[in-house]
Amino acid sequence: MDEHPTTSWQAMQDGNVFYRRQHLYNISGKLPDLSDFIIAGCRYGGPIAIMRDTSKIVTLNRAAPALSKSQVQVYSPAGEALLLFSWDQGKIVRFGWALDERLILLNEEGVYRIYDLQGEYQQHSLGAEAAEVGIIDARIHDNGLVALTSALTLLEVKNWEGGRPLTLANPSLSEPPHAWAIIPPDLNISRHVEVLLSVESTIFTVDNLESIDQRLSRGPFTHISPSPNGKSLALLTFTGTLWVVSTDFQRSMAEFETNNVVGAEGFVKQIEWCGNDAILLTWDGLAVLVGPFGDTLQYFYTGSLFAVTETDGVRVMGPEVCDLLQKVPASTLSIFRPGSTSPSAILYDAWESFNNRSPKADESIRSIKPELAKAVDECIEAAGQEWEPYWQRRLLNAAKFGRGYLDFHNPVDFVNMGQTLKVLNAVRFYEIGIPLTYSQYNYTSPSHLITRLTSRNLHLLALRVSSFLNLRPDVVLKHWACAKIARTRPSATGTGKDVELTGDDEVCKMIVEKFEQLGGTDVSYADIAKRAWEIGRISLATKLLDHETKASDQVPLLLTMKEDRLALNKAVDSGDTDMVYYVLLHLHKRLPLGSFFRLIEDGGDNLAPARRLLEVYAREQDREMLRDFYYSDDRRVESAVLSLDEASRATDQTAKLTSVKTAQKFFSEDKDRNFEAKMMDENARLLTLQQQLEKETDGKISFFGLSVNDTIRQCLVNSLSKRADKVKTEFRVPDKRFWYLKLHSLTEVRDFEGLDAFSKSKRSPIGYEPFVRHLVEKGHAKEAIPYVSRCDSPKKADLYVECGEWRLAGKECKDRGDKAKLEEIRKKCPNSMILRELDQIASTMK
Amino acid sequence: MADRGAQNDAVSANALDMNILREIAKKSLVDALNSVNGAKTLVLDASIAGPLGLVTEVSLLKHHGVDKMFWLEPGPLTATTTNIVYLSRPSVKLTKIIADQIKRHGRESQKRNYTLILVPRPSTLVSRILEEEGVLGEVNISAYNLQFIPLADDVISLERDNAFKELWVDGDETMIYDSAQALISLQNLYGTFPRIVGKGHLASRLAALLAKPASKASGPSSSDSLLASPVIDSLIVFDRRVDMITPFLTQLTYEGLVDELIGIRNSHVELPVSLLTPASAQTTPNTASTSQQPSAAPIIVKKESKKKHHLTTLTDPLFAELRDLNFSAVGRRLNKVAHRLDEDYKTNLQSKTVAQLRDFVGKLGGLQTEHQALRLHTGLSEMLLPFTRTEQFNKSLEIQQNLLASYEANSQIAAIEEMISQGAELQVILRLLCLASITTGGIKTKVLENLKREILQSYGYEYLPLLLSLATPPLGVLLSTPLPPSTAATIPTSKYPYAALRKSLRLLIDDNPEALEEVENDISYVYSGYAPISIRLVQCIAQKGGVLSNPAEKEKGPSEANAGAPKTSGKVHAHPIVGWKGFEDVVEAIPGETIDIVLNHPERGASSGLPITNIRK
Repeated sequence: MDEHPTTSWQAMQDGNVFYRRQHLYNISGKLPDLSDFIIAGCRYGGPIAIMRDTSKIVTLNRAAPALSKSQVQVYSPAGEALLLFSWDQGKIVRFGWALDERLILLNEEGVYRIYDLQGEYQQHSLGAEAAEVGIIDARIHDNGLVALTSALTLLEVKNWEGGRPLTLANPSLSEPPHAWAIIPPDLNISRHVEVLLSVESTIFTVDNLESIDQRLSRGPFTHISPSPNGKSLALLTFTGTLWVVSTDFQRSMAEFETNNVVGAEGFVKQIEWCGNDAILLTWDGLAVLVGPFGDTLQYFYTGSLFAVTETDGVRVMGPEVCDLLQKVPASTLSIFRPGSTSPSAILYDAWESFNNRSPKADESIRSIKPELAKAVDECIEAAGQEWEPYWQRRLLNAAKFGRGYLDFHNPVDFVNMGQTLKVLNAVRFYEIGIPLTYSQYNYTSPSHLITRLTSRNLHLLALRVSSFLNLRPDVVLKHWACAKIARTRPSATGTGKDVELTGDDEVCKMIVEKFEQLGGTDVSYADIAKRAWEIGRISLATKLLDHETKASDQVPLLLTMKEDRLALNKAVDSGDTDMVYYVLLHLHKRLPLGSFFRLIEDGGDNLAPARRLLEVYAREQDREMLRDFYYSDDRRVESAVLSLDEASRATDQTAKLTSVKTAQKFFSEDKDRNFEAKMMDENARLLTLQQQLEKETDGKISFFGLSVNDTIRQCLVNSLSKRADKVKTEFRVPDKRFWYLKLHSLTEVRDFEGLDAFSKSKRSPIGYEPFVRHLVEKGHAKEAIPYVSRCDSPKKADLYVECGEWRLAGKECKDRGDKAKLEEIRKKCPNSMILRELDQIASTMK
Repeated sequence: MADRGAQNDAVSANALDMNILREIAKKSLVDALNSVNGAKTLVLDASIAGPLGLVTEVSLLKHHGVDKMFWLEPGPLTATTTNIVYLSRPSVKLTKIIADQIKRHGRESQKRNYTLILVPRPSTLVSRILEEEGVLGEVNISAYNLQFIPLADDVISLERDNAFKELWVDGDETMIYDSAQALISLQNLYGTFPRIVGKGHLASRLAALLAKPASKASGPSSSDSLLASPVIDSLIVFDRRVDMITPFLTQLTYEGLVDELIGIRNSHVELPVSLLTPASAQTTPNTASTSQQPSAAPIIVKKESKKKHHLTTLTDPLFAELRDLNFSAVGRRLNKVAHRLDEDYKTNLQSKTVAQLRDFVGKLGGLQTEHQALRLHTGLSEMLLPFTRTEQFNKSLEIQQNLLASYEANSQIAAIEEMISQGAELQVILRLLCLASITTGGIKTKVLENLKREILQSYGYEYLPLLLSLATPPLGVLLSTPLPPSTAATIPTSKYPYAALRKSLRLLIDDNPEALEEVENDISYVYSGYAPISIRLVQCIAQKGGVLSNPAEKEKGPSEANAGAPKTSGKVHAHPIVGWKGFEDVVEAIPGETIDIVLNHPERGASSGLPITNIRK
């Protein structure tokens, strides 16, 4: 029933390499004539989008309905129409596909929309500047695009989140390039996008840093096409020569004359890569595969066709069929190649013999016994490469048969392959229409496949596939719930308010139940609620949001729903201060100041953290608001502290004084803050006094802003002793402190006479020991000596020692008859001369 | 506060390789830098430079396209590259500086690419301010998630300088959230914490964030069923408020004194160059490792030719020996090491045969490193010594000890007043005053007002807000008795039961010099007779025996009888974590919530009620 795999093979290059034309789908009559359309194909077995090419004349008749507006249609590779929408914005300059099968449309005003397969879109812009200049062309890759403005500069967009476009280096072109292409960031060593522009006879490579002229002479080029791995380029010269070169232009790989192709009419339409080592050239009705050494294979179609490069081949959509052209994979080749004697071929042969009950089977197996494991692996691998389940099964059976002869063989590969093929066969079914190959599937990951299924609203299949592959059902469930909400709308509305409410309850219940039943614990209810809110089902959104546990998801939606207090409470509960700021700043912007404050103040202790955060922010950024806030909440102390803070920042004397007085006033309004009020009163008095002092000294000495202590010191240092006394009495400075101050100040200016007079002015409240110690510390030992005699007797000897007066110390000991002390001093003495003197004193004692 | 996480993990240090954290931090920095293509000018928030220096070197930055580095400071920025990368914490002040610089460039019509990398995560606040300043559109904002940094192989820290003020004065709880995030990252590496034990209001906020089932939020989405950690027995969380006494005391270990008197920031200490690079040793390769430079060093303007030195036990084994010694014992230890070194040199110089000589030459490098370290620490101790001899230092120690013993509280306060008249440093005064307030349960209103007046007059009225902050709850470390009626309602709950704790936690221990040596096994030796409350609380959880009695005393008999027995035999061993058991009443008396959460993981479901197996040796 199924043709042998080799029937679709064709040999190239002396029969060593084979290419196969895998027939995927019959699509006759399903697609319009592609020659009238501009087409963009999505990789990895994705759909194609078509839009009428307005530069071509179309006959208007009944069969082709008039397309008055520009419309975009999307078809699956199996020819099923997936989506149709019309475009009412500015002229589309380019459209293409993102990795996740979303269609990107960019218009000349720099606006781009991202459509999913359900026709939902997000809109972003390249910015005002781009809109003004206008966009003339763009290249779209999996994760971004590069646009060419009419000023001939390049703008890059990374990701599809609407980020600010990045300006690439200016190539300084004078006219649009003849052709251009980009190499996506993930294929470059630098991990940044690279743009290739065909300018005159050469090519410029441009990235975000520089524009390099590659100094070629063969141009201009009409096509530039980078290979899927980004390592090689296919260039078509103006004269029709296909030139394959490495991306760094260092190595020329192949050349091919396109003018000589038999049956080709007109210009080459497309240059697409077939994997990384062959190139497909298309004309209307003809596709020519050019191998690495310039050998060709020709494929004929009944009309115009469109080719999409895949990582492991090239997909061709003709009017009748959808084909996959690819190099026959090594494993398949080694099994099915005519006359192959590889172990895997023999294993396959043995299995067939076994099925035919032929004894040859045993003999064959024995002959390859040492390499049997490898043969089994190869059969498993080859099964993955087959399109028809019949051959997949046969190859897996052969592998299983071989396994039986092995003592030990890890079954994981076998089981995985079986599972994978089951999944692949399911999605390849024409109604689904995703002709994904095994290697593409491995490259894009199973979860990517799940996303693709859900975006087609194939939730049941997606759910089954994910549970079959042991993936989490969350993604599917989330998408399902969103779709559910969108779909249930018509049935719930229309018959009065009550009906809608019960409808909401039902949907919410259904969603929650489904999630719990299928274990979708990580699904974000907030995302779903957001969807509900977006389509105007507010009560449903609120209900769903109650099930959300993550504040970071709940809060933004609550804010958009104007549930301010709830949002703030949730944000505070989450402990995430950034989230609290998010709410606060948002509300501050939206609400009148009065109600904003009320909202926070009414929150009580629960909202205290939010209040503190607002204060932190306002102290730096918006002091006016903070003042109002404190005032409206009767927080006198905080108001006062704020005034003091301003006082400390003030550079102007009057401003400072005013701020201090304001603070004093605030403190005095709080009956528990008598002390603080008094202090601020003192402060204000001091500042006034200091102003006065500055005036008296003609501004030569600065006083303003000093502490009481420093004011006194400043007076003493500048011989304004009377003023110092005045400050002392006015501010009731205790004697002790004043004495220390005066001692320190007079020592500082070396006014030892003044110090002496001061020390004798009355009995020192701090004693005289501090005099000695301070003078010694400051290096005035000699001046310290007279004070020792006025200290307490027991300490005198030690103090003399500190002054370096050993003899006097000795004498002191003698006078007091303290022999032990003398002995102690003797031990510490620095040189023999003093020692002798001390000994002498000791001897005279007793 | 920043080190909060650290102490907990220290216990199971042997099991955890903290260097992974450094590698992760380094890698994500490189990734953040590489996201900007080409040469770039790096503008660095000074508060990150220190922590960054512990993670990476300048050469690494240069290697990844950093052309020049500047501090993020007010004023114009002159950069030669088109790419300008700001690396900053999300602060309003710094953001305004950035906005200002961008606007300046705009006025001079310079075209630049600006990237702002925020540490540790993007911030709405920053975006908002950039928006208000009208430059949001010109800046690409990304994040560099710098979390725990290993300071030693058993200490990790977030290195956030302002954490205490932000939490207790501003009430900005960002730090709690960031800590929780960092701990969640830690869980992703080592498995979830089976149990969270702790004390304190903010500690309970942190524990609640960790225990919330929604903590999946920040973890990688796939880590659906993280296993309970096999290497971590428990997370112990305290907030600083639980033990406000210890930080007011003067640290008396060697490292502690270096911090008190010279200052240690991000494990770096600034020392005179002469101490670090002796002329003789400059040629040896070892100096390179002993004088490691932090990342930001080349752009530091060198004052008085001081140099930052990384105090780490990795390259300085002598420091490992000294750091936790009571300062009184440091001299003796240094002496011992010097003697040993001398012996080593001598015995080696006597070597006769060629083989012996070769051995000696082989050892020479090691000896020189040790020599250099010895020189450094001797020099450092010499620097510290004069400080420790000043009257002020000794007076404040005396007051501290008396206050701890609740000995004649009134005369201590008089002594503090005396110190004010003598013009002692404000910081010293405030520490003593707060200590007095906590240990005595509040200072009489009249007395306190008089002291405050003295302070304001001596140091300036601008300190009034500081005094207010100290007195305001939740901090409330400078209280008066009786309290003013308006605040009285909120404060009683936070009154600290010091006198009771002193008995129940055995905080004070006789500190005569002979005993000191013997009680080395008890933590109290680090403060010459006072055991930090926080440490005692950890012992309440992990080492209950150590709280009740001194291990050294118990073991005295046998170890004297059997001189050969190793001294470590006296150490109290850790035991399985059973929460606060046995100390419930003591802990309950301390203000703040008491935390003891056993996290049930499906994998461990059955064993939740049983003591959790402990793998520590």
